[in-house]
Amino acid sequence: MPVEVVGNEFAQVAVSVDTDANSPRLRIEDLRSGRVRFLDALELETLVHLPEGKLQSLLDPSADRWREDRE
Amino acid sequence: MTTTIAERYDALIEPERVHGSLYTSPEIFADELEQIWYRTWVYVGHVSEIAQPNDYVRKTIGPQDVVMTRGADGEVHLLLNRCAHRGNLVCEADAGNSSSFRCPYHGWTYRNTGDLVGYPFPQGYGGRGKLDELGLGRVPRVAVYQGFVFGSFAPDGPSLAEHLGEAAGELDRLVRLSPQGEVEITAGFLKHRARANWKLLAENETDGYHPQFVHQSIFSVAESGIGALYGEKSTAVTRDLGGGHSENDLRPEFRRLAAPMGWFGTTEKKVPHYVAAMRERHGDAAEEILVEGAPHVMIFPNLFIAEIQLFTIQPLAADLTVQHVTAIGLKGAPEMNTRMLQQSIGSVGPAGLLLADDTEMYERNQAGVAELRPEWLDIRRGVGRESVDERGLTIGGATDETAMRGFWRHYKRLMTTDRVAAGTAAGTPR
Repeated sequence: MPVEVVGNEFAQVAVSVDTDANSPRLRIEDLRSGRVRFLDALELETLVHLPEGKLQSLLDPSADRWREDRE
Repeated sequence: MTTTIAERYDALIEPERVHGSLYTSPEIFADELEQIWYRTWVYVGHVSEIAQPNDYVRKTIGPQDVVMTRGADGEVHLLLNRCAHRGNLVCEADAGNSSSFRCPYHGWTYRNTGDLVGYPFPQGYGGRGKLDELGLGRVPRVAVYQGFVFGSFAPDGPSLAEHLGEAAGELDRLVRLSPQGEVEITAGFLKHRARANWKLLAENETDGYHPQFVHQSIFSVAESGIGALYGEKSTAVTRDLGGGHSENDLRPEFRRLAAPMGWFGTTEKKVPHYVAAMRERHGDAAEEILVEGAPHVMIFPNLFIAEIQLFTIQPLAADLTVQHVTAIGLKGAPEMNTRMLQQSIGSVGPAGLLLADDTEMYERNQAGVAELRPEWLDIRRGVGRESVDERGLTIGGATDETAMRGFWRHYKRLMTTDRVAAGTAAGTPR
């Protein structure tokens, strides 16, 4: 499972293809927090087709990550 | 107030001499930032430095920290490196690829176009989307010529084409040396700090009087013929291009010698693939291009093209300047690019001789102008033998100070006329 690091000054993530499940999936690890997310083929395909505006809205730090109303 | 300032510069700048305080006064330096660096067009970077969508590089306009980005749509943006929240730098790396910048202080995130994406814990501001008016500062005007990106803090004023004037033709001359008609700035920059005023550097770039003295050692070691180009018998000319721009036009000498690639100190046998590619692109015109070579031009106030190297001048204080240098690359010419990089390392690299020679002179100059007497610097060389060329531009001999006189005429105009009434062109009171 070759691991590559995709990084710039704002984020560092390790990416690899995980084959432990019934079909391959992308393993993404945020190297700063250690949090891991798997993305299956359909999710990845969806990302490719995501309109620019939606991807940008995911980058809003209050969208999902730093939220006061969570838990 | 305005009259007083104009009168002050009138008294300091004469056609054939300039006052030493122009190089040493912190007040004049502050005035120059407002009247020149935050008002006219300033060279920032080259599009090849941000070739891919979402590429970015950190650049400067004077002391200002500017991030040059390429948006996902390919457009070039010049952003100020300052979070709209508490002023923290949002970008620390010299270069990278990212669609967004996230401030490390409180997590405020911006698109690489400068728009605010969002901020953590938005309830403190009444919810999300309440601060849409905040974004990264932007250089109001961005324009590109032949891949060279310029910015102006003045929202209105002359266009880049008007600013460049006759100097635009020198950039045309440079890019036509590429078999693909484009230059590439991809070698990376070295930063040379000089304890000297920025104008000493700008004036020196097209001073043809100094090379045989200051650069004698490198010319000797390299067995270079460059020194002879700047002699009394040289047919080369120094040209005032207007607008503070100037050049050492060495073409008359190269035409006289009529040797393809002689301008680069080599022969066509040494770079056969390049010469073949140029002849394929340009046909019969290739002979003239290969003989005449690259320009040696100073584009006011901060871009210097020295044939195969690019310099940008960054003023930081009356007596402190950083010169950013790199080798120019010609797109589609790997054979030439290797040689140009090697020559650049030898001349302006960390142990290079050419820029070290010049910097020594800049710092000696700065120390000297701080002395009280005599008060003036003389720039009269060649006044009596100037002429007007077929384009109506003033030219002098290869060693004459025609370029300096043109620089100071333009400088005086900028410092005395159409002064910004209040605040700055950037709109930020200081």
